[in-house]
Amino acid sequence: MPFTAEQFGILAEKTLHFLLILKKNGRIVAFNNRCGVLFPIEDNKKKAIYITDYIIDEDVKILNQSISSLSKQNSILSQSFSFATEKHGVLALKFNLTLHNDLIYAAGIDTTEEYKEHRALMTISKLTKTGAWYYNPKNNEMFWSKGCYLIKDLDPKTKMTRELGASFYPKENRKRIESYLNNLIKTRKPYEYTEKIITKKGNVKWVKVVAQPVIYKNEVIYVNGTIADVTDRHNYIEKLKYNEETKHLALKGIQSGLFDHHIEKNEVFYSADFKKMLGLPLDQDFVPEETFRKMIHPEDVEGAFERHLKNLKQPGNQYYNYYRLSDKKGTYKYYEVHGFQRKNEKNETIRMIGNLIDVHQRRLNEKTIAESKNRLQAIVNNGFAYTVLLDPEGQILMTDEKSLKIIKRDFNVDPSKTPCLFINVMPLNFKNTFLHEFNEALKGNMVKKEIERATNEGNVQWLESKYTPIYDQENEINSVLVSFHDITEQKLAEIAIKESHLKEQELNSLKSNILSNFSHEIRTPLNGIMTVSKLLLDEKEPEERKKLLEYLEESKDRLLDTINNLSNFSDLEAIRNNLNLKEVDANYTIETSFREYKHLADAKNLEYHLELDHTCPQINIDEDLLRTAVNNIIHNAIKYTSNGRIIVKINSKKSKNNVYISVTDTGIGIDKENLKKVFDPFMQESIGINRKYEGTGIGLSLSKRYIEILGGRIKVKSKMGKGTEFTIIIPKCL
Amino acid sequence: MPMNILYVEDNKINAMVMDKMLSKNDSNVIIAENGSQALAVVKEKNLDLILVDINLGLNQMDGCELLQRFKKLDLLQNIPVFAVTAYAMPGDKQRFLNLGFDNYFSKPVNFDKLLSVISKIRNNLGTTQMN
Repeated sequence: MPFTAEQFGILAEKTLHFLLILKKNGRIVAFNNRCGVLFPIEDNKKKAIYITDYIIDEDVKILNQSISSLSKQNSILSQSFSFATEKHGVLALKFNLTLHNDLIYAAGIDTTEEYKEHRALMTISKLTKTGAWYYNPKNNEMFWSKGCYLIKDLDPKTKMTRELGASFYPKENRKRIESYLNNLIKTRKPYEYTEKIITKKGNVKWVKVVAQPVIYKNEVIYVNGTIADVTDRHNYIEKLKYNEETKHLALKGIQSGLFDHHIEKNEVFYSADFKKMLGLPLDQDFVPEETFRKMIHPEDVEGAFERHLKNLKQPGNQYYNYYRLSDKKGTYKYYEVHGFQRKNEKNETIRMIGNLIDVHQRRLNEKTIAESKNRLQAIVNNGFAYTVLLDPEGQILMTDEKSLKIIKRDFNVDPSKTPCLFINVMPLNFKNTFLHEFNEALKGNMVKKEIERATNEGNVQWLESKYTPIYDQENEINSVLVSFHDITEQKLAEIAIKESHLKEQELNSLKSNILSNFSHEIRTPLNGIMTVSKLLLDEKEPEERKKLLEYLEESKDRLLDTINNLSNFSDLEAIRNNLNLKEVDANYTIETSFREYKHLADAKNLEYHLELDHTCPQINIDEDLLRTAVNNIIHNAIKYTSNGRIIVKINSKKSKNNVYISVTDTGIGIDKENLKKVFDPFMQESIGINRKYEGTGIGLSLSKRYIEILGGRIKVKSKMGKGTEFTIIIPKCL
Repeated sequence: MPMNILYVEDNKINAMVMDKMLSKNDSNVIIAENGSQALAVVKEKNLDLILVDINLGLNQMDGCELLQRFKKLDLLQNIPVFAVTAYAMPGDKQRFLNLGFDNYFSKPVNFDKLLSVISKIRNNLGTTQMN
């Protein structure tokens, strides 16, 4: 029996349902009292209100879609909408919508509490990338929540089947994964697994699947499950695994002990391997600092501790130390510590993490290398050569001590400490040839070269430089040994031999010159004597005979002069022993000599002056010797002067004890080389076939010897082409 | 016909005795004390022979240089020039001959030899003139 209108009215008002009648555009035509909570009171009085003004934004679209999907054929549907109310907050209502006479009759119930739960689950699902599913083994129905679709990059409208679900696993795994679910149905026990999937978009993901059976009368009627995207975690774990493995291998490989030093706690943590090495108890994680200190070699403790404190004080985070530690057998090995310091805000190190590296073998090698280097250095230092080892760039790798000292002194650099190119610290006169020789050596040739240089003290030094290429194991030239051998003595000896050869040659030519001169000087007057004798034999005329006899006399005198000169020269000893010393007036003696040669000077039209000393110096002397000495010098001056003047000067004012007699000419002069030899016997400025000057050439030599016998000396100054000045310095009293 | 002989000699005694010696043997001797006098003489006189001392004194042209000057003069092409010198060490003779002297006489002069050479020249001159 149907409701009466009154009964229906009461029912409509008393029911817990929200009842509404809407037009298709959402305008509300009628609603029961319960719906009052959905709209504000003042809106109840409005002529036209629309339901879309009160539901939350995201549901507006769903409402419109729902209304438009209603038709005569499909006139009922069910849909939830949330209303944002003033008094009760968000209310979630589930409506049945019915189309009748172009109006929509909506009956809704309050599902706010359930909806809240649903929303929360949705959020969890979204945030944890988790989806839920169920499976009905009876009708093979598979349901996936939205989260499941998201994980698999699949459109949520796609109809889900068990086969489709399985298709996301790699082919080779599908059978195995299928069997999990089958087993659950058989054994009624839950399962979980983590497997790889390939999503619709082709991405590789890792998923964790958990399944729980619902049992009714000992039979699985339902399977509830979740699926979670664990790709990030999986990758992270894989990475962690990899890192852990790498670290493990690395630690094993470097034979080092990892440590963690807690400064404040005064404890050190060591890795297990290291504890094994050092024989420390394995069950103790921390080793007290004191225990550790006892393991350091007694000789190293102090230094290690000093370095330790210094490390802690210095800025930065690096830590470096080294010492010997005893192992479990009690033998010491070298270790290095490389660490990282963690500091607090006061810049105090509170913790240090690092490793101890066994450098024993390396230290031993270094020690051996250092020892052999020392031996090598000793050999090099004790050699007689300067030795420099260069790399192919010309940089100094090693030098002997002497060279090092010179380089330090002259260039203010220490090549044993600062890298330094040899070319920048070598003596200047090496530079010209160095690069050439060095490049030759780099080509594999051994090069020798002699160099002349001045030492720091200004002496001449000869060095023999030798460039020797040195090959490495690959037969490449990796360095060049440059050695400088002092060959000065050898060289000086060679020069001395050469010079003595020259001297010998000079003496030889001098000897033949002497002979030639004497021969010439004897033959010339002899020619006169012999010819005159021949003429005298036939000459009857007394006048002619007298003239011829005069010629004879003159020629004889000249011959005698020559011979006397020669005998004087060879008889110096006799002269010395028979000196005839007398107090004489120097002015007078010199004037006599001066006068004796006046006619020669006049014949050549030379200016010829005498400057006497007005103090009239008296000298105690063998007058003959002095006069002969001065004569020769004056004669010589005239002989070698073609024009200009000759000045003879006496001066006793320069010195208390000596008288100076100088003879200055404007003659041809004597060059430097010959100036040294001017007093050598038989030396003439011009010798040989072009000799232009008559005489034996012993005059000056004789003068010098006479003056020396008289206790004096002769000096000579000359300039080629300008003239010569001889000065006799003679003591007033022998 | 007497021969014209130039003797270049700075030593007066040696020059005079040579003059006396050669004059006695039908020669006309002209003395020059140095190179420049000699060069003046050769331009003026027709000479048959020139005798040259080598050492002609201080700062003077020597006999060797004088010979070179002679050789540059066309008119002396066929006149013999002898060195008469006191340089008489081994090798000296060859040295002077190599320089271009036609003959060499050392001092003291061997007059027998000198006079015989002069007379040969005189004979040659006679032959030439006859031809």
